[in-house]
Amino acid sequence: MKEVKLDCLGEACPIPMLKAEKKMAELAIGDYLIVQIDHSCAMKNVPDWARLHGHNVEVEEVGDGEWEVIIEKVK
Amino acid sequence: MKDFFNKISSNELYQRLFKNPWSYLAGAVFLAFLNTLTLAFTGSGWGVTGAFSNWLVWILRPLGVDFSSWSQLNTEAAIKLLDAGFFKDALSIRNLGIVFGALLAVLLASQFKIKKIKSWKQVFAAILGGILMGYGARLAAGCNIGALFTATASMSLSGWVFAGALFIGGFIGSKLLTKYFM
Repeated sequence: MKEVKLDCLGEACPIPMLKAEKKMAELAIGDYLIVQIDHSCAMKNVPDWARLHGHNVEVEEVGDGEWEVIIEKVK
Repeated sequence: MKDFFNKISSNELYQRLFKNPWSYLAGAVFLAFLNTLTLAFTGSGWGVTGAFSNWLVWILRPLGVDFSSWSQLNTEAAIKLLDAGFFKDALSIRNLGIVFGALLAVLLASQFKIKKIKSWKQVFAAILGGILMGYGARLAAGCNIGALFTATASMSLSGWVFAGALFIGGFIGSKLLTKYFM
């Protein structure tokens, strides 16, 4: 089980989601992907995408207008 | 004071209204409601980019640029609107309201942030995209608000034609996006 950070600060939608999708494909089951975002619409579509694909998701607000979407790959 | 703000930020109603993203359905219903009000009070539906050409005239005409040969700006209604000025133009005021409303919303959610620019590629794409969208919106006499949202809501066929063109443009745009930004 490893933890991978994906820096998407300063990236506008839908790039964070596309990058997360690409990165998730490289991970193994049980790994965590932490997507760092500061575009509020990514706070909706990144978790939506991950949940749709059955992963565990948690969103953490780390600062004003800055979030970390933590995705656990479950399948 | 700090206790007061801590109490508000943990309030469930505050979080639902100002902090967390609304559902798409709630947003759609609210927009439809506001568009109905706009239609009732101003006589035309919601639009955005139409005001931009007025702004160009208001900025450049005092500097000596002659717009009398621009047929689009020479209709009776357009002349009346341009002579009345910025503060009598509902479209312009509403655009101002959108900007201030967005600022207010982001401040209420305590999510204001000045984002860093990641690359010059991003700057170039943003400027190019802005020019293409602005130019396209003037050619089509509307953007995705006036020519799509308001037009389809008014049962106009033109809105659906615009939607088709928008889909093609969006498809090409997303291909370019994944090619150059991934």
